[in-house]
Amino acid sequence: MAISNPMIVRRLRDAAVFAPCYIALDWASYIAPVGPFNITPWNPQPALAIVWMMLAGLGQAPAVLAAIIAADVVVRHAPGGYLITATSAVVLTVGYAAIARALKALLRQLGLHTARDLTVFAAVVLAGTGLVGAAFVGLLGGARLLGDIALQDAWLRFWLGDAVGVLVTAPLLLAAADPARRAALLELARRPEVGLQALVLGATLWLIFAGLGGDPAHHFYLLFLPLIWIAMRSGMSGAIVATGIVQIGVVLGIHRGGGPALPVMELQILVTALTLTGLFLGVVVDERKRAEAGLRESLRLAAAGEMAGAIAHEVNQPLTALTNYGRSAQMLLAGAGMPQLSEIIRRMLQEADRAADVVRRLRDFFRAGSTRLAPVEARELLEAACRMAESAAGAHSIRIEATSDAPLPALFIDRLQVELILRNLVANAVDSLAMSASPGGRITLSASAHDAAHVRIVVADSGPGIAEADRERVFEPFVSGKPTGMGLGLAVSRAIAEAHGGSLAAAPRGHGEFHLILPCAPPA
Amino acid sequence: MRAAGLTVYIVEDDAAVRDSLALMLGLAGYRTAAFADAEAFLAAWREQWTGCIVTDLRLPGASGLELQAEVRRRRSALPVIVITAHGDVPSARAAFRAQAVDFLEKPFDDAQLRAAIDSALALEERRLERRDDAEKLARLTPREREVLECAAQGLHAKEIAGSLGISPRTVEVHKTRIMEKLGVRNIAELVRFSLGAK
Repeated sequence: MAISNPMIVRRLRDAAVFAPCYIALDWASYIAPVGPFNITPWNPQPALAIVWMMLAGLGQAPAVLAAIIAADVVVRHAPGGYLITATSAVVLTVGYAAIARALKALLRQLGLHTARDLTVFAAVVLAGTGLVGAAFVGLLGGARLLGDIALQDAWLRFWLGDAVGVLVTAPLLLAAADPARRAALLELARRPEVGLQALVLGATLWLIFAGLGGDPAHHFYLLFLPLIWIAMRSGMSGAIVATGIVQIGVVLGIHRGGGPALPVMELQILVTALTLTGLFLGVVVDERKRAEAGLRESLRLAAAGEMAGAIAHEVNQPLTALTNYGRSAQMLLAGAGMPQLSEIIRRMLQEADRAADVVRRLRDFFRAGSTRLAPVEARELLEAACRMAESAAGAHSIRIEATSDAPLPALFIDRLQVELILRNLVANAVDSLAMSASPGGRITLSASAHDAAHVRIVVADSGPGIAEADRERVFEPFVSGKPTGMGLGLAVSRAIAEAHGGSLAAAPRGHGEFHLILPCAPPA
Repeated sequence: MRAAGLTVYIVEDDAAVRDSLALMLGLAGYRTAAFADAEAFLAAWREQWTGCIVTDLRLPGASGLELQAEVRRRRSALPVIVITAHGDVPSARAAFRAQAVDFLEKPFDDAQLRAAIDSALALEERRLERRDDAEKLARLTPREREVLECAAQGLHAKEIAGSLGISPRTVEVHKTRIMEKLGVRNIAELVRFSLGAK
């Protein structure tokens, strides 16, 4: 009971947030109802129910059921009686839960970032709402509650209302739940062009419903123009918002134009077509932008690889000579009875070997992206990184320390490569603190569980950090914030992290902070 | 210690690597000669040179692989070991196709290098022995060669005399001359020699 109690409390609290939203949305979209059962042409509330169950889990199904029943009673006054209301609510809940389950299983990311995800989303929503509509309308037909409307017609209306409602609203809700998408939307809001786009979109809506007069469906095609503009410029994020605005505009237009007098069904079919066009165009634009950025980065990394190869060659020559001279000295000393000197030379050769190993791995990495994975304890890795940086940090009276949550699973990484990342990050932090006006400062390395399969290593310093505008730019090759920097450290570090199936990013904090995500060893 | 006359010819453009290699191999008991590039080696090259070549892959002018090809073109059998600071698969494959003994990546383990040199020099020694044997055989008269062939088949003097139509006494004289010319002490060595020379 001690465990389930807080869970139940949390569920109830979540439901208390969800249910009023659902009822309010149902009420707001309750327009142009048809038949005694009031089938409406635009139902955004299923989107809320579906996304809610995707995010909070199917455990929310009872809350959804309750909200649907309450909405039916409050908004429609339960026209079929309470039994029908309850039965149809069960049908809808099961249907929406199935859609949520299918989307959760099939979508790779919540934010609809790829054409594949969008296609899956559209297909699941169209098929799912079609099936839910058939069950719902069938139930009403069986109870002889459809009046004089044909079964097929009622189903089409229901399907269209739910499908367009979910297609338009769910991407907005999913975008709000996806951090990357949310950031993109916030960035969008700051662009002056977006204001102009919104203005044009609004003006077009006004033209269609009032300015040009006549049947709004005849001039509806005009909306494709601003939508294409927005999707081309702002990608999926712009398209999601624009289709939402169009839907709201259409609903307002219908209200204003006297509801049923307008061809609401036809308008909603057009909105569906417009929405799908906008979303697909947006996602394709996004994918192209990503491909361009990826290409640019890989070209730069190829240049970096060339350079690493050249450097490796140049460094290998003196290393080879050093090793040869060392061996010669060993041969001369053999049997000369100077064990101390022999030992010193042995250690010297060992260090030369280590340097050669680093150079080889660096070159290997660029050549084939090959990594040699082995389990490594995060704590040990961080402590080693601290030890390596201690003298440099000490020279500027910077304190450096490592902490880690115990116990953590072992990392499954190429130790040399990841050490390279940590050395880079710590060296950057030391440089940043050393350059700042006030002496001293602090660098902390910490490790914690990120998810079941990954560990997060945070390298934080008390310096000013990276300006917001540069947070992504610093990872591009040959971009450096340091006067003498080559701009390769972070680019290579990120490439290494990604080659491990992890990531490296600068956290948006008031101080310097980098998050390095690395995979753990599979449980033995 | 190595057979006299075998030399490790080092072709390496980096002065420090060249010098340190010569020093290390010299201390290990090899006779060495060092060249800064392929052209210098080829200009100095004499047909009678024996030993092996240790060459860098990347050289100013002709590369190590081109040097290897030129040495082969001149019908020199000097075994070649290629070393490189840039171990790439295509170069290694090309080197081995041209019968390189080994392909080592810098910085290499000295034991690895010495093992490669030793196997190259062993190859060279066998080749030289075979060449000496061929020279000795060339000094035999046609009749002596016939006798050698018969003797190698294990025939006795009387049988050889019968098949060649000469007296057993003459066969014995030929045998003595053959053993003198080939530098062998008894019939068993003679048989072994004729088998090895084939």
